[in-house]
Amino acid sequence: MKATEIDWDRFAEIIEKHAQKKWGLIPLLQEVQERFGYIPPETIGAVAEALDLYPSHVQGVITFYAGFSTEPRGKCVLKVCRGTACHVKGGKSILRVIKRDLDLEEGETSPDYQFTLETAACLGACFLAPAMMVDREYYGKLNPTKVTSVIGEYRKPEGDE
Amino acid sequence: MESISLTINGTRLSCPQGQSILQAAEAHDIKIPTLCYHHSLKPFGACRLCLVEDEKSGRIFASCVTPAAAEMVIHTHSPQVIAHRRTIVSLMMAEHPESCIVCNKGNRCHLRMIAAELGIGDNALYPMPNFAALEQANPYITRDLSKCILCGKCIRADHELVCAGAIDYNSRGFNSRPVTLHELPLEKSSCTFCGTCVSICPTGALSAKMQFVGTPEKESTSICGFCGVGCSLELGVAGDKIVDVNPSHLKNSVNDATLCVRGHFAHDFLNSKKRLTQPLIRTEEDLTPTTWDEALETAAQRMLEIKERYGPDSIAFLGSSKCTNEENYLFQKIARTIFQTNHVDNGGYMSGRLFLDLVDKRTDRAGRFNFFAGPFSGLEQAEVVFVVGAEPSQAVPVFDYYLKRSARKGIPLILANHRKIDLTGPGSIWIHPQGTPPAAGRTADTFYLELINLISALLLDKEAFDTSFVSRFTSGFERYQEELLSLSREDCLGKADLDAQTIALAVDLLAGKKITFVVGDGLMLHRYGKETMDALLNLALMTGSIGYKGAGFHIVSKENNLVGAWDMGAVPDALPGRLKVARSEDRARWEKAWGVKIPESRGMDLLEMIKSAENGRLKALYIMGENPLRSLPQPDLLLNALKSLKCLIVQDILFSETAGIADVVLPAAAFSEKAGSFTNMEGKIQCFSPAVPPPGLGKPDLEILTLFAEKLAAPGNTGSHQQIRKEISSVITSYSNGAACKHPIWIREKAQPEDSQAEEHIRFSPVATSAETEADGRYPFTAFFRSLRFHLGSGTRTEQSSRITAGDEQGEIEVAPADAEKMSLADNDRIRVTSAAGTIERNIRINPKVEDGHIYIPTAFEANGARLLLRLEPFLENDSGGWSSCAVAIDKAETMTMDR
Repeated sequence: MKATEIDWDRFAEIIEKHAQKKWGLIPLLQEVQERFGYIPPETIGAVAEALDLYPSHVQGVITFYAGFSTEPRGKCVLKVCRGTACHVKGGKSILRVIKRDLDLEEGETSPDYQFTLETAACLGACFLAPAMMVDREYYGKLNPTKVTSVIGEYRKPEGDE
Repeated sequence: MESISLTINGTRLSCPQGQSILQAAEAHDIKIPTLCYHHSLKPFGACRLCLVEDEKSGRIFASCVTPAAAEMVIHTHSPQVIAHRRTIVSLMMAEHPESCIVCNKGNRCHLRMIAAELGIGDNALYPMPNFAALEQANPYITRDLSKCILCGKCIRADHELVCAGAIDYNSRGFNSRPVTLHELPLEKSSCTFCGTCVSICPTGALSAKMQFVGTPEKESTSICGFCGVGCSLELGVAGDKIVDVNPSHLKNSVNDATLCVRGHFAHDFLNSKKRLTQPLIRTEEDLTPTTWDEALETAAQRMLEIKERYGPDSIAFLGSSKCTNEENYLFQKIARTIFQTNHVDNGGYMSGRLFLDLVDKRTDRAGRFNFFAGPFSGLEQAEVVFVVGAEPSQAVPVFDYYLKRSARKGIPLILANHRKIDLTGPGSIWIHPQGTPPAAGRTADTFYLELINLISALLLDKEAFDTSFVSRFTSGFERYQEELLSLSREDCLGKADLDAQTIALAVDLLAGKKITFVVGDGLMLHRYGKETMDALLNLALMTGSIGYKGAGFHIVSKENNLVGAWDMGAVPDALPGRLKVARSEDRARWEKAWGVKIPESRGMDLLEMIKSAENGRLKALYIMGENPLRSLPQPDLLLNALKSLKCLIVQDILFSETAGIADVVLPAAAFSEKAGSFTNMEGKIQCFSPAVPPPGLGKPDLEILTLFAEKLAAPGNTGSHQQIRKEISSVITSYSNGAACKHPIWIREKAQPEDSQAEEHIRFSPVATSAETEADGRYPFTAFFRSLRFHLGSGTRTEQSSRITAGDEQGEIEVAPADAEKMSLADNDRIRVTSAAGTIERNIRINPKVEDGHIYIPTAFEANGARLLLRLEPFLENDSGGWSSCAVAIDKAETMTMDR
């Protein structure tokens, strides 16, 4: 999702839902991340105020979890497994194919904000090795052809701006 | 609490249940090395150095987070434990840069000490320093995170003690670091530069920015000489200079591990070039150096001559709310016994004395009723805290930490202030004028008084008053009740421009509770300061918020010894011990002690002295430790008044504006260079000893006064501080605790008056309301004077701190965004501010926290220029505009190119 103007009304709705709740921080951040695709840094102050936390503390939580990002991420987040089983089954080559197909390095987001490429230490789906996730979907027993077709499914339709 | 017994290192010992093994060991002088543990912080278990072995289970655990259990057999230095510690420290050292030789922490570095103890020198591990950029753009704190060992002490101190929330851990693993919000430099974060993190950091990751690098030769405990909190300091001494300041290790100190930016970083003023180092005497037009003998001889002779020729009424003494109790006592004693005058005052006139006087007017016997809330720690038991016209985070930061901590614990907080201050808690209520025309321009005067009247009236409507307290301890409630009942609630709402809903919430919160009041200069110095304080006192009486644990008044006092100077009688209408000059039995007590007659009528206060000098009636003034030329409005007028004196003696530590026009200048000693005691705003008497000698020929004030008295040929006014203290404690009941103590530093609560206060009745005072004022079209803006935490009072001392003057804050006037837009002003544009009294020019800073139509002018900056907008008139009188705000006009000034 692009880093555009923040929709503060939408943001206020999320805040309203979680404000003053005990242990509300992580569910709140998850919802912000879900709706905006990332956690805009300028929202940290408002999040902290709603929950009576220090802004620096909120930022600490965001940076601690790999699942949260303060930079705009792609619409689809690819997580390629780098676990032992996947490695044995050729996970390294799968990653190489993906990098080539998307023209992205690890941690990068495509200029059109369609894709973000990440790696994970282990996705816990060793029986599907080599595996990857796109958003919340698992894709297992990958080979270069399958990878290309999976990525194809997630590509933006032509002419859609 | 139940106690359990266990064995540590073969010693059988017992400790209360719930204590950690580490605490139990420390209580019995068994040393366990730690890096992340601090007794004031919650245990964290990060560094793992406090590992100990349990003999029975063979397990190893971190002693700071493991509760001691009955019949444990603990070894703190078993071979296995040592092996683990060595590994941990080796790993830390491998990650640490090899910069010990140039490190500020020097031999105070805990990591280095522990490594040395464990014999870890050259490390077999491959060095993997975690390089980080050095941050040292601000003048206070140098951050070198490559030396950070992630103990989290700075973060926890910031969150748990100071409650600033400027930093927190970011990221994970090897990348994790304490980071500010958006990774901005400290000066752009919410950091207040209190330096608590610097003192608590076990390594060189955080250090005070200074020219001096290394370990001071010795450390000496003292009491801070800036604000009324009275923090205990550990002064680092090299040669005869103070080179470093940290919070002291005293167990019962006010500040514990914290300090504020002034206390921590502004003490370099002690080494200022403007320090007075020799006595000066006026010859023709110039002040020339002279000997002590000649200076004192001249001073004494001239004063005696004037007394002889013009009588005692021609002589006045201005003591200091910054000098010690002993000095103020001797000072007023000299005035009252030798010169037979009650014309004694101190600089506290300008901050907070008003309240102290009002309290005493409520009872027949002065000093009997204690309206004070007592120790700050009582805030933890407070039922509701009501902060009125105060900005504690700027004026008295360490007290502000107490407030913030209690707010975070959920103690309800009500703030009444024109501006939203940096103090909030869950469910806190901020009451402020709504900014609705036409009231908007005039609420600066009416807001506080009408608000307190309204709250009192609404509480009365709810019958939320303490009947038993009122009937037992007060008189005049019926009349007060009637007056409140006839008060128009709508009028109050309208005049103060309040939001009825917010007030209703606040009243609900206050109803049935004992209130802890925090009152600041914003209220005390404003036009209806006296009336509002009276209204607050009535409210306190009505709700029974007196003498109840945690409840009562905290008076934000910007001067370190405001209370002490008053207790010691450096005021025109009271003798030491707050006994009234005008009461013959009070006078008799001191006449007996001193063996002389004391004049019967009250003396002149500071402003009356100036007026009298102007009229030519006052001929001589002895000023000790005050700089009225910088602190009072209308300096031209004041200059003329002081210049018309026949003799002006100034005894000070700095060559101040006032010293510059004196006839005799006596170089005195700062708090770090003398012994004495201060009484802080809680009423704690804190005694201290010198750390270094005064510069040059300077002498402690007490010694100067003693020598002066000798020259006056008046024995009985001399003595060391011990003798004077003994005299004080023998006659002033509340100070009777202090005399016997032999320790160089101690902290005591004041003693209770000998006769119980229970049987005395405190009077309610009549309800006062504000007058309708017409807004003056020429001055459409309201300027509020704001004292920032970087400067104290008029800034005479803090301006001499090279760190403070190098800071980002340069006294910029804060303007509301909408006003700035209307006048097309941008940050750092220069404006001209004009009031009925004068004009100043400053740069501006746009701040969304400022309400439309308001501007905030920081005091103390630019030779305390803000005062030029005020009038030198007794601000307690009704026709005066007060000293906390005034009506002004602003327009854009010619832009000056600033070097900055």
